[in-house]
Amino acid sequence: MRKHLPVAVTGLGCLCAAGADLAECMASLFAGKRQPKAPTLFTTGHAVAYPVFEAPLAEPEQAGLLRTSRLALVAAAEALADSGWSPEALRGKRVGVCIGTTIGGTTSDEGFCRALRAGVHPDLAPMKRILGSNPARSLAREFGFTGPSQTIVNACSSGTDAVGIGASWIRAGFCDLVLAGGADELGRVTYNGFTSLMITDESPVKPFDKNRKGLNLGEGAGMLVLESEMLRGRRNKAARGFVLGYGSACDAHHLTAPHPEGLGLKRALAEALQCSGLTPDAIAFVNAHGTGTPDNDRVESRVLSDVLPMVPFLSTKGYTGHTLGAAGAIEAVFTLACLEQRRIPANVGFSEPDPELPATPVREITVVQGAAALSESLAFGGNNAVLALGRGES
Amino acid sequence: MNLDIAISGIGVVGGFGCGREALARALRAGRTPVGKASFMTPEGPAQLPAYLADTAPLERFVAKRELRRIDHFSRMAMLGGFLALEDAGMLEADRSRLGVVIATGYGASRTTFSFLDSIFDGGDALASPTHFSSSVHNAAAAHSSILLKATGPSLTVSQFEMSVPSALLAACLWLEEERVDAVLFGGVDECGELLHYCWQRFFPTATAETIRPLDFERQSAVAGEGAAFMLLTRSAGAVAPLGRIRQVLQGNAEGGVPALPGDAVLFLGADGHRECGAAYRGLPENALLATYAPLYGSLPVGPAFDLAVAALSCRENQLFPAPSGGSRGIGLQPEALAGRSICCLKFGTDGDFGLIRVEK
Repeated sequence: MRKHLPVAVTGLGCLCAAGADLAECMASLFAGKRQPKAPTLFTTGHAVAYPVFEAPLAEPEQAGLLRTSRLALVAAAEALADSGWSPEALRGKRVGVCIGTTIGGTTSDEGFCRALRAGVHPDLAPMKRILGSNPARSLAREFGFTGPSQTIVNACSSGTDAVGIGASWIRAGFCDLVLAGGADELGRVTYNGFTSLMITDESPVKPFDKNRKGLNLGEGAGMLVLESEMLRGRRNKAARGFVLGYGSACDAHHLTAPHPEGLGLKRALAEALQCSGLTPDAIAFVNAHGTGTPDNDRVESRVLSDVLPMVPFLSTKGYTGHTLGAAGAIEAVFTLACLEQRRIPANVGFSEPDPELPATPVREITVVQGAAALSESLAFGGNNAVLALGRGES
Repeated sequence: MNLDIAISGIGVVGGFGCGREALARALRAGRTPVGKASFMTPEGPAQLPAYLADTAPLERFVAKRELRRIDHFSRMAMLGGFLALEDAGMLEADRSRLGVVIATGYGASRTTFSFLDSIFDGGDALASPTHFSSSVHNAAAAHSSILLKATGPSLTVSQFEMSVPSALLAACLWLEEERVDAVLFGGVDECGELLHYCWQRFFPTATAETIRPLDFERQSAVAGEGAAFMLLTRSAGAVAPLGRIRQVLQGNAEGGVPALPGDAVLFLGADGHRECGAAYRGLPENALLATYAPLYGSLPVGPAFDLAVAALSCRENQLFPAPSGGSRGIGLQPEALAGRSICCLKFGTDGDFGLIRVEK
């Protein structure tokens, strides 16, 4: 395995239930604010209204685009503005788009299928909207980018994988700049799906807590502008952070459950550390996957206790809900912002330690030492992905 | 970036049959029999011509009981994967550093609709957890990794018609960065009731039973399904009988279609869709080109089948005649590859393109 050269991050953008932009999100995290509530975007027939985290999408309805792509556009516009690039100034440059998602990559439309099953010819508009809303393609089209575009559908690790793979495009010289991140919307299909698996909590999510019962779904988008040293050097732009390394590995164990010993996660962590040249004592903190499901949190706690003992960790899903394909990207953005601020928020929802968990998250705002941190994601299919991220120059 | 990635094995399943030899037979015969896909419409049962895949040979690799909860989409992918490993002589090899990269245009669409059916039948509270977990786009990669004990990285890419070149870019980079020793790479897409219904609605006047890929004025696409997999390894100058991948490009033609090597033979991804076909008209008049979609059908991951044909062409050191009406400048008899490179070129909608250059 080759050691990775750091890839500069020159812009960040985020939209989720914690806030309409990154500044609002960070303010919510450090204020300990969260707003899970019964779904308002759709109706459900469940006896219990499992809480969700809806994003404040202020953009007017853009005909022809799924909500996932609209969330992505808002976060991408923020990240590009933060980087100091306008889409026009990037014309002619090799700009790629690498986006993780789950909902934005599926061809289901409940209304269409329900009508068809009822013996009615449905309007084709929903299918046209799906075909025109591939998230990476939507962003490339909107901003006029002509480099490679890739929509990654690795379930809940998609956003982390997209940032890791986007960074590899810069290192390989495929692109001068890559818009990398993740986006996902809330909807009835996933809501019913996760509820059917009996891994949703009817109260606000409690990552790593003894009384955790499951996840709360969320939605949003997180975007990073990754920039080559050549391009950055020309405009003397300071980096907000760096992608130092990326590791991923499959448990090859079970479709929906993590390996009980976290073997895949351990391999992903080892790869991220090795290719970034970091040792465990250089890690300031870990932004854990921390969904609040009994299995996930048990495995993650065990692995962190084994591999990174004494390193502070937290889950930010208590503020955002589980945003699925967007989660890894949103959490990478939060991780870089926390490195900038040299502190991490409390793991909201955690109050009672679980004797089964050998490591517990931070309970209060914590000052962190060190210039590097890890952000990790676990996913359906046994995927595990880890980003090693570094503090910027500003 | 110049790549040097060896294709070490091929595993294919589609309307033409199962395995490398079945594809080679179809190439020599220049045809694949077209089947019929049945589906429901509000007016009653209907049929459309389609190239359909049979996954029964998967039981040669996996016990039937292990397949009980695995859907058709994942079965096609697994069959393609096992065949590629077998072809490479790697069925018994250690797979701890094997990566899995899968491209798909629409994912497990049948299972997605089965999941919706469970909601329509029983209400929200009776949604099927089995269908839900199998409907995620990366289910095929997950099943493949589990059954193969492949513990390297796993990736699924869904970029409609550009899924294959986009995913291949990642597979090649993994090998170049030495993240893995080998990648099981493939494309998979399936037919299903909803796809056929939408097909009929989107193309109400299209009644073709034969794809005319170079007749760009006519909608002649015939739906296909299947999986085309390859085992990819770093070439490191070693003999690569199935050819080497030297270049993968993907982007939008607004930024300019890359220059093609002057002596390259183009395997076009034109598959009878008029909307995409228009983009191929701009190719040089004297370009040597062939299209093989009439052997496997129209499906988003068609370029994976073109790549498999390119690998077979390298292996046999010859160009297979394209099915009727599907070539320009290439004869009706096999001819020597004669050191030429093969560029698999796919245009999508909105000017998107993907290019994969293969050399013997």
